[in-house]
Amino acid sequence: MDRSIRRLYLTMAGGFVALTVLLGYWQVVAAGGLSNRAGNQQTLQRERLVDRGRVLTADGKVLAASRARRIEGQRVFERIYPQGSLAAHAVGYASPREGKTGLESTYNRFLTGSFGTEPILRRLNLREKRGADLHTYLRSEVQRAAVDALGDSPGAVVAIAPRTGGVIALASAPTFDPAAIATNFESIAARPGAPLLDRGTGGTYPPGSTFKVVTATAALESGLYTPTSRFDDTGSFNTPGGPITNFGGRRFAQHALREAFTRSINTTFARIGAALGAAQLGATMSAYGFGKRPPIDLPEQEVVISGRRQDGQLLPNDQRGEDVARIAIGQERLDVTPLQMAMVVQAIANEGTLLAPRLVQRITDRGGSVVRQHSPEEIGQVATAQTAAELAGMMQNVVDEGTGTAASLSGLSVAGKTGTAETGDSGRNQAWFIGFAPVENPQIAVAVVIEDTSGTGGTVAAPVAARVMDAALGGRP
Amino acid sequence: MIEPRARELGFLVPGAALGFLGLASVATARADQFELGPLPGAFAVLGVFLAMHVALRIRAPSADPYLLPAVGLLTVIGLVELHRIDPSLAADQAVWVAVGGAVFVAVLVLMPDHRVLERFRYSIGLGGVALLVATMVFGTTINGSKLWIAFGGQTVQLGELAKVMIVIFLAGYLREKRELLAIPTRRIAGVPVPPMSALGPVLVFLGAALLLVVVLNDFGSGLLFFGVFVAMMYLATGRAWYAAVGGGLFAAGALAIYALVPRIQDRVSGWLNPFDDPEGQGFQLVQSLYALAEGGVVGPGLGRGFLVAENGTTVIPALETDFIFSAVATELGLVGGIGLLLGYVLLIQRGFSIATDATDGFSKLLAGGLTAVLGIQAFLIVGGVIRLIPLTGVTLPFMSYGGSSVITNFGIVAILLVVSHRSHARGARRLDAPQEEEAVRG
Repeated sequence: MDRSIRRLYLTMAGGFVALTVLLGYWQVVAAGGLSNRAGNQQTLQRERLVDRGRVLTADGKVLAASRARRIEGQRVFERIYPQGSLAAHAVGYASPREGKTGLESTYNRFLTGSFGTEPILRRLNLREKRGADLHTYLRSEVQRAAVDALGDSPGAVVAIAPRTGGVIALASAPTFDPAAIATNFESIAARPGAPLLDRGTGGTYPPGSTFKVVTATAALESGLYTPTSRFDDTGSFNTPGGPITNFGGRRFAQHALREAFTRSINTTFARIGAALGAAQLGATMSAYGFGKRPPIDLPEQEVVISGRRQDGQLLPNDQRGEDVARIAIGQERLDVTPLQMAMVVQAIANEGTLLAPRLVQRITDRGGSVVRQHSPEEIGQVATAQTAAELAGMMQNVVDEGTGTAASLSGLSVAGKTGTAETGDSGRNQAWFIGFAPVENPQIAVAVVIEDTSGTGGTVAAPVAARVMDAALGGRP
Repeated sequence: MIEPRARELGFLVPGAALGFLGLASVATARADQFELGPLPGAFAVLGVFLAMHVALRIRAPSADPYLLPAVGLLTVIGLVELHRIDPSLAADQAVWVAVGGAVFVAVLVLMPDHRVLERFRYSIGLGGVALLVATMVFGTTINGSKLWIAFGGQTVQLGELAKVMIVIFLAGYLREKRELLAIPTRRIAGVPVPPMSALGPVLVFLGAALLLVVVLNDFGSGLLFFGVFVAMMYLATGRAWYAAVGGGLFAAGALAIYALVPRIQDRVSGWLNPFDDPEGQGFQLVQSLYALAEGGVVGPGLGRGFLVAENGTTVIPALETDFIFSAVATELGLVGGIGLLLGYVLLIQRGFSIATDATDGFSKLLAGGLTAVLGIQAFLIVGGVIRLIPLTGVTLPFMSYGGSSVITNFGIVAILLVVSHRSHARGARRLDAPQEEEAVRG
């Protein structure tokens, strides 16, 4: 019987070995994947015990911070937002139940202090569980102006500092109160106007005439045109997809490229587009960043790629056999985000150099020492400095005497371009304004979109841009 | 050579130290709640184990020295974890450990020779069956299973005691019939079959195990009874095909039950795909896996894991009973989890070693069977909470919250130590005498 006993023992010991192996699998091999699963209370609880870092504006206003609370003798932290909904979309939320968005998600590792040697130091009890602070490029007065100017009507403002790529305002309306996410998520998500959507980086709209800035860039860079190139408008330009006419059916006869830009003459830009062809226009689009995800420091799923889409699929910028004339005036299934259009003006304002847009300027630990510092990151040269200067001049004309006069600021030179894209409903438009100021020494590049309005880019979007630029340039009376 | 009882006392020290260290860890985890409250209880438990040790010194001085320290270690970690989940649970459990200690001492005092059990095997077997029937008839249903009988304010799981009685019966019965069972007399469909007179009761037993699953709605006990039965059949006959055929029959029965009982189907689907329904059917298991993952290699330490939510509910339902292993493994990590498993392996290694050392068939079967009860039970529940096998609601010996289980298991240990003492005492006396010849070589 002893042999049976030994075999039974070995069988059962084998069972325990199997238990050990599987236990090791769950606790070591599969542990990371399990921790990252949505709704894992263990992970959420661990993060609740961390004094999550703050998110600050460039001028030191606290957008998000942590407040300690004692629960059953344990210090736990909850997120507070002293500025309310001011920069709700950029900051995002960090909710135990709903997960994380915005900077709270992108920089979670830093905010929770899980970077560098911190976790080891903590394990050894040499360091408190405190996360690092994020110092953003956002300027509270500019952000405030953007939020106020937008009001409740759906739309977005993206403002970028042209020399650094720093995002100084990122506003989307309607907005939400991040503090209410914990308690009211369902009702916020269900509200009309999708307040949780960041329209600045994730809302796509037909660019309308603002796209003529891109076409003009391609035209000037091609060497085939200058601002004084002459055109003769008959009021209509024939394309394989049907004739293109001007806004209000107007006919402009003899004019220069500069004037075509100022008055947003469709027929002339259609002609230029057709002459340049898909390859040349596509190359300029690619240089501006169309067709690629803008490299901003926000979660991927919140940043949408701008470009041409068919059945939800992104088409190459230089797709052949397309109606290039229509693309040149911002039609033909072009869908762009305000962030992408802000990048376009940023490049022009920065002598043709496109920079990566960036929200966080530096990260500091609680001792105040800098963990990470952002330096401007060039994506590429979209146009020569000369082309950029010529574009700036043409855009200044738009604000001085063209469709964008509502964006003018007394005593300052403003460059811009309006756009009015028709929606399916007649009389309802998506209104655009993109521009920068001051022209001689650009401090702010801005893109504004107002959804579903009876107004035009010149009447509803330009005034919003004016308020935002005004706030950025010193808020004169 | 160090005398066994001195050895035992020495090995009780690390367990005791671990207990106090664990209490300190729990106390300091909530810095502003440092309390000396559990200390009297801790000393009381220490006293219980010392009393058991003293009883062994007097009544069974030659018994195995490692079994009691292993039991002590597991009991102590269980108590600390229960204290950490809810101090009142640990207080209850400490009382039951004391009662278990009393039963342990009583067994040593009242039963100097366990072979007296062999004489009463049929009465004991009938008693065991009666306890099960009583549970079926008078039982109260808790959590969907009918395992408890209410006595006054207390509920008692008679099934725990029944399983020991049935092991005693099987040890006696198989000791008597093992020759008959080991030699097939004919073949049915190519399978060698022993005579019906010997096999009949065996088949009845098989059916009873399956009936238990259906009537008591308790898959775990059914599996446990059956596993122990197959193990003892194998020990008695040395015929592996018994295990194979028995396993096949049980699998067939289990499949039939699976097809008929929706609750079992839910259990199995919750086991195969817990993440399909993480808030419903898979909830317990998913939470258990999350807790294991959070523990990692070393864990945050006792008292420092996330086991109890703000509102006082445990993150895993039935944490203090079925999922006590997950609780320890999340706070002490893989290291602690493997430590516990090694504790159980040590336990069964000592148990089977006692069975090997025993000098007569009944003692071998009794010790082997009781050891199998503890080992299979630990395997079933740990395997359940780490998703090796479907979750069955059996208790983790010495650790799960529950009086019936704790008291019964201390009784089992007492019997094992009596067996151990008898064989060693006799073995020492008969060193130069010829070994008792076994009827059938296993």
